[in-house]
Amino acid sequence: MAVKIIESCVNCFACEPVCPSKAIYEAKPHFKVNPNKCTECEGDFPVYQCASICPIEGAILNAQGEAVNPPGSLTGIPPEKMAEAMAELQSH
Amino acid sequence: MQLPVLNEAPAAKSGCSASSCGTTENQMDALPDSIREKVQNHPCYSEDAHHYFARMHVAVAPACNIQCHYCNRKYDCANESRPGVVSELLTPDQAVKKTMAVAATIPQMTVLGIAGPGDPLANPERTFETFRRLSEEAPDIKLCVSTNGLALPDAVEELSKHNIDHVTITINCVDPEIGAKIYPWIYWNNRRIKGKKGAKILIDQQQKGLEMLIAKGILVKVNSVMIPGVNDQHLAEVSRVVKSKGAFLHNVMPLIAEAEHGTFYGVMGQRGPTHDELQDLQDACSGDMNMMRHCRQCRADAVGLLGEDRGDEFTLDKIEEMEIDYQAAMEKRKVIHQAIQAEMDSKRLEKAEKSTQFKAEPKLATRPVLMAVATSGQGVINVHFGHAKEFLIYEASPDGVRFISHRKADQYCGGDSTCGDGESVLQRTVRTLEGCEAVLCSKVGYEPWELLENAGIMPNGEHAMEPIEEAVMAVYKEMAAAGKLDAKPEAMRASA
Repeated sequence: MAVKIIESCVNCFACEPVCPSKAIYEAKPHFKVNPNKCTECEGDFPVYQCASICPIEGAILNAQGEAVNPPGSLTGIPPEKMAEAMAELQSH
Repeated sequence: MQLPVLNEAPAAKSGCSASSCGTTENQMDALPDSIREKVQNHPCYSEDAHHYFARMHVAVAPACNIQCHYCNRKYDCANESRPGVVSELLTPDQAVKKTMAVAATIPQMTVLGIAGPGDPLANPERTFETFRRLSEEAPDIKLCVSTNGLALPDAVEELSKHNIDHVTITINCVDPEIGAKIYPWIYWNNRRIKGKKGAKILIDQQQKGLEMLIAKGILVKVNSVMIPGVNDQHLAEVSRVVKSKGAFLHNVMPLIAEAEHGTFYGVMGQRGPTHDELQDLQDACSGDMNMMRHCRQCRADAVGLLGEDRGDEFTLDKIEEMEIDYQAAMEKRKVIHQAIQAEMDSKRLEKAEKSTQFKAEPKLATRPVLMAVATSGQGVINVHFGHAKEFLIYEASPDGVRFISHRKADQYCGGDSTCGDGESVLQRTVRTLEGCEAVLCSKVGYEPWELLENAGIMPNGEHAMEPIEEAVMAVYKEMAAAGKLDAKPEAMRASA
């Protein structure tokens, strides 16, 4: 079982040094997790380290494919408010 | 360390307070000599120096350990200039190359800072590797770092090893209740900690780090972002606290919040302060603290004088092709720095003489006036109105001339015209100068002349290449003589 970093990753490096299993590596177009090394932090920490420092909602998925940090959970911006602001920008 | 109070320092130096000089007292004149010596060629710490010396940031620090509501790590626009924004992330090796290339090409560059785009101390290996190599390979460059403070206590020892004598801490509050409205989370002891609890840890770390730096004799500047309705009433208290602990300069900056930045404050419609609100707060804090008013809130990869960004000349592909003989560059830099220093010293003397003269003249009984000035450095009026990317705002009054702030000519985005609301760049620029009654440039064209006049701002191109403070005072005296300053306009600022 392993977590996964997806394309919304902004390559900020924050997760790489906090991984207890050295499973995260710099790659193009974004950082990746080596599924053979990832332990989901079991035995080391009660929570995923990468997902505890990642600033981007939705960028890290758990083994079930769910966002560990769903929309709105980190920024505090209600998802509908964000959608509204982005739609407003698109219309210009 | 006891600091003298600036702006209202009747006992300082020549016994001349800012309120009785012909020109503003040099911002640094009231500081102890030991500090003044350290900052006299640092453009970010000395208002005087920022007209002459340049700085650069290298973007080696991508990771961050906290989230601020005014920051979004997702977006990067090449046309934007604000903290946290960069175009290319550098490795320490690339950063060292770039720094030396810039130092050789722009010899007036005296300061290398690491300011992000994340938190430099959340990237200790990359940050300290850069500092270690630069202190060995380019020993004539001053090194400084800015941080949110969370990892600061653990970094103080290492910082003091690399000859870093300037640190900037961003402190937006000393109250966790307020902190919870600014910082949604921090990463601490292997957990994400949200709300008041996270804010309290951050505040404690900032204050502890500040105390440790002062104990090591490292100069500390404190940056605060002014967020109306959140911490605006609280920042005078922050100023008092950090001063009492030994910070030597406080830089209150306006919140930058636009929906297109995708930040919490931007999307939620939190407004930034008006020019007047910012100035009132800076004035309110200045009784207790030496205030910085010339900050340009630059990008984490900015290069050049504070008002400019020459980053485009030093992209990775370009520096790769440059051959730098740093020994030769250092010789050249030394000569140029000495010449600039001599020029600054002679101007300082001139200012002091002018201020003595001014004090001997009969005092005017006129109201204060704000004026905008177009300059690209050297302390003189030397930019055409249409070419000005920013204006410096000065206040002239019977007490003299003082620097107030800068305003960008084209707010935050120099991108294509389609992102505006149909207002022309010129109209926007004129609106930026709201509250000013004159604008001094080397030249003003016909079209802006008319627009400025209609907006109640007197264009003036008669003082090209003259020292700013003298020109502002000359125009003020002309306005006084013409009887323009007798009546107090309704909108006059209470604090001025």
